[in-house]
Amino acid sequence: MRDQPPRKRGARLLPPKPEAEVDDELAFHLEQRVRDYVARGMDPDTARRAAEARFGDVGGVRRECAELLGEDRRATSRRDWLGDLRQDVRFGVRSALRSPLFTLLAVVTLALGIGANAAVFGVVKSVLLDALPYTDADRLVRVYGRFLDGSNERGPLSAGTVHDIAERQRSFTQVAAFMTTPSDAVYGADEGPRAGRAVWVEPALFRTLGVSAVLGRTFVEGDIVGDTVRFVVLPHATWQQLFGGDSGVVGRDIRINGIARTVIGVLPRDFVGPVGEADFYYPLDYRPVLRDPVSARGSGWLGLVGRLKPGVTVDAARRELDAIGEALAREYPRDNGSIRLATMSLRDAMVGDTRTPLLVLLASAGLVLLITCANLAGALLSRTLTRRKEFAVRVALGAGRGRLVRQLLTESLVLALAGGAAGIALAVGGLALLRGLASSALPSYAELALDPGAVLVTSLLALATGLLFGLAPAVTVGRANPQGTLRDEARGASESRRTRSLRGLLVAGQIALCVSLLVGAGLLARSLWAMTATPLGFVPDGVLVADLQLTGPRYRVPGAEARFQEEFTERLRALPGVRHVALASARPGAVGSRNGFTIVGRPWPSEDVLPFVLYASVTDDYFRTLGIPLRQGRTFGPSERADSPPAIVISEAMARRYWPDGDAVGSRIRMGPDPNSTPIEVIGVVGDVRNDPTRPDAEPMAYGSWRQFPWGSGMTLLVRAERDPLALVGPVRGTLRAMDPALPLDGAMTLRAAVGEGLAGRRLPVMLITAFGALALLLASVGVYALFASMAAAREREFGVRVALGSSRGAIAALVLRQGAVWMLLGLAGGAAGVVAVSRLLRGLLYGVQPFDPVTLAATAVILVVCAAVALLVPVRRATHADPIAVLR
Amino acid sequence: MFAKDSGLLQGTLELLVLKTLSWGPMHGYGIASWIEQATDDVLRVEEGSLYPALYRMARKGWIEAEWGLSENNRRAKFYHLTAEGRRQFREQTSGWQRFASAVTRAVSTSTAPSWAR
Repeated sequence: MRDQPPRKRGARLLPPKPEAEVDDELAFHLEQRVRDYVARGMDPDTARRAAEARFGDVGGVRRECAELLGEDRRATSRRDWLGDLRQDVRFGVRSALRSPLFTLLAVVTLALGIGANAAVFGVVKSVLLDALPYTDADRLVRVYGRFLDGSNERGPLSAGTVHDIAERQRSFTQVAAFMTTPSDAVYGADEGPRAGRAVWVEPALFRTLGVSAVLGRTFVEGDIVGDTVRFVVLPHATWQQLFGGDSGVVGRDIRINGIARTVIGVLPRDFVGPVGEADFYYPLDYRPVLRDPVSARGSGWLGLVGRLKPGVTVDAARRELDAIGEALAREYPRDNGSIRLATMSLRDAMVGDTRTPLLVLLASAGLVLLITCANLAGALLSRTLTRRKEFAVRVALGAGRGRLVRQLLTESLVLALAGGAAGIALAVGGLALLRGLASSALPSYAELALDPGAVLVTSLLALATGLLFGLAPAVTVGRANPQGTLRDEARGASESRRTRSLRGLLVAGQIALCVSLLVGAGLLARSLWAMTATPLGFVPDGVLVADLQLTGPRYRVPGAEARFQEEFTERLRALPGVRHVALASARPGAVGSRNGFTIVGRPWPSEDVLPFVLYASVTDDYFRTLGIPLRQGRTFGPSERADSPPAIVISEAMARRYWPDGDAVGSRIRMGPDPNSTPIEVIGVVGDVRNDPTRPDAEPMAYGSWRQFPWGSGMTLLVRAERDPLALVGPVRGTLRAMDPALPLDGAMTLRAAVGEGLAGRRLPVMLITAFGALALLLASVGVYALFASMAAAREREFGVRVALGSSRGAIAALVLRQGAVWMLLGLAGGAAGVVAVSRLLRGLLYGVQPFDPVTLAATAVILVVCAAVALLVPVRRATHADPIAVLR
Repeated sequence: MFAKDSGLLQGTLELLVLKTLSWGPMHGYGIASWIEQATDDVLRVEEGSLYPALYRMARKGWIEAEWGLSENNRRAKFYHLTAEGRRQFREQTSGWQRFASAVTRAVSTSTAPSWAR
């Protein structure tokens, strides 16, 4: 030890300030000189003056020396700190390698906790935090039509509404409309005709989003000439797929739906349109529609985005558009009376319903990490106990407590970093898995990749984890009393009360977190089960579903569509293994269109609002094919010809709501807003079909005969098979090719699978949170086991003595259990608080189950108690089998 | 005194300190006294330069300091050579000897340069 006064060395206080030390040294020098002069015969006063005169500028020397000493000290402490760190890390690695099982367990546990967090954070970041692929995406706003009857919160707008918004609004620098449903676009690919999606957008859309083409240009107003689309813009993927990424693509022609159209530009790779995936973009001009007074406002088919003016907030824009919506409702009561405007940021519109499930997942991953930390803290604590002697010896040999604490923290950091590295590897795998599972459940712009931000956050997590779980043992070591410990150790006494309380608290915390997670998982699983279990209203098993697109000049002739349908269904019905065949305008359970209607002879509702119901056009065998039961009247038959009086079949829910007296069959309605349209007779009532499988009730629905209400060139084919529906894909395709080789058949799958796709978004969070719950349960069980095991081990001698003194094994088991039960009860109590929080968070995701579902709560409690009992078994057995002779010798 | 304007002081003083400490640990006052005594008072050590020089040498790792008791039981800071200090002492001593003998040779020669002949 240099530079330190001997009397202070043992106390480990800081060395004196450099100034003080220099003063001491110089004072000694002067004193020595004075003493010298006095010895030579000077009187003390003269001697002092002479000594100072000889020394010269004392103050200057003092300053210079103090500065030099200070610098020296700082350099030394830096060197020492680095040296100590190196030593600690080396020691940490060595001690980790000395107990490989513990290290493996710790690293794997940490990897699970950290990996889960990194993976989930990767998803959350790409969905919630990353910018949308637009310039200043935060300034973009989406406007929807909100149906007052609650049937659609985010509906399309009519051309008239869009036009009025564009004319009246003052919040945006620019607004642009697009069609909310893509049109079918059949084009030639290498393997034959393919049906793609073309999205119509106003030329201003790309400017509004702030997206420019990577090749060529985007649309300008002049690109719209006449009724035929002459120019298309390609998304990056289409460019790659059809032109192999050829940079000379601009100006080349591509045949879509049989018409040659010129490519004018290619969009950036990361571009995602507001309607999701698209294969082509067409330029849209909705203004011609305004000339037709009925369709201008009667049907909604447009979406709208706007870029906010500088300084205008989303809320301000919302207030303005709310006012415009109210004004339009007053001005056009029939068409706009039941619709208001819903305004939200484009991010909210695109992130949609994924926010809550993602936050739930993030919270679960966080809980798992907390449990991991608590578990490791417990494990390190018991390891610290077994190393107590080592630490006591080191303290006795002069190691500072700060130094020991630092070493423990370094050791846990070494573990945490190893765990973090393994966790990142795990997260990469997890994200790959999620990409497969979650593609349909996440917004289309989300790219599930482990980005630098996620890695950074993960590393910070690992560090924080290391510090957190290193802290508990470090605290106890800091308090260790070497003399007591060395004596205790010799006598083999039980672990201290303080350590035991700390461990107990850690286990209680784990149980509390585990209860919260399990209850969350249970509630979500019950909701999913309820969704799947509620009858759909049709029989999806044994039905093949596929999409069909009639393109080409030959179908433009009036009646050609109907003739094709007749012949196609006739031919399919003749195939072996086919029981029923039907065509419909949409897949069951995924009907997107709604129609307003009025009842003939019924006074117009006072609030001037058209009721809206779901609508689909179907062929005669639709209800038979899907097994939808007839409740009243009849379904469509040969009597529904194109020229016969129009007929309609309605669902039970529609009949109940609008004909509460049960007199629906035989009454007549008008579809659409036109008061002079032909009345339609209600000929039958059929069973309800749940259109949205995530909603409990069935929406009112109406069906028209395709012959009387043709729906355009796109249709859904439904085939009920005798046996395996997928075995029919080949024959069906063959039949279609025989009729017209240019027609594509897309998305062939079983109807059961198609229905399942609708639930994919709900299933994913349930699966993940259940996995997290299982992980938490495992970790908590290990924690409970470790607590009891070390408790029993520490008191083995005591138990031996008790047995020797005549205590029964049952009494000892009771002793161990009582000691542990306190902590378990505390954990369950904490878990109850967690359950309240979890239920509140999950409320919006639940379906058909109460937030405080007694079944879930009871099941969780039982699972936990069973796991804890299993974890208890070994330690309690060991305690009760303590052999007094072996233990006491 | 000669050291003040010679410019040689720094190196010379350090060498003399190293020499002093090669006998054993000593405090600053002792170092100054020994140098004066050993040079028969020809070199009077400027005390204002001695202490900064000591701290500088400590920073360079040639010497280390430790508090101890002086001959009359007063707390004093004793300096001693480190391994590096001993190495420096050996090198600087031979360097100084070469330098001094060269200067001596030049100063005491009686052979006149060619241009003076």
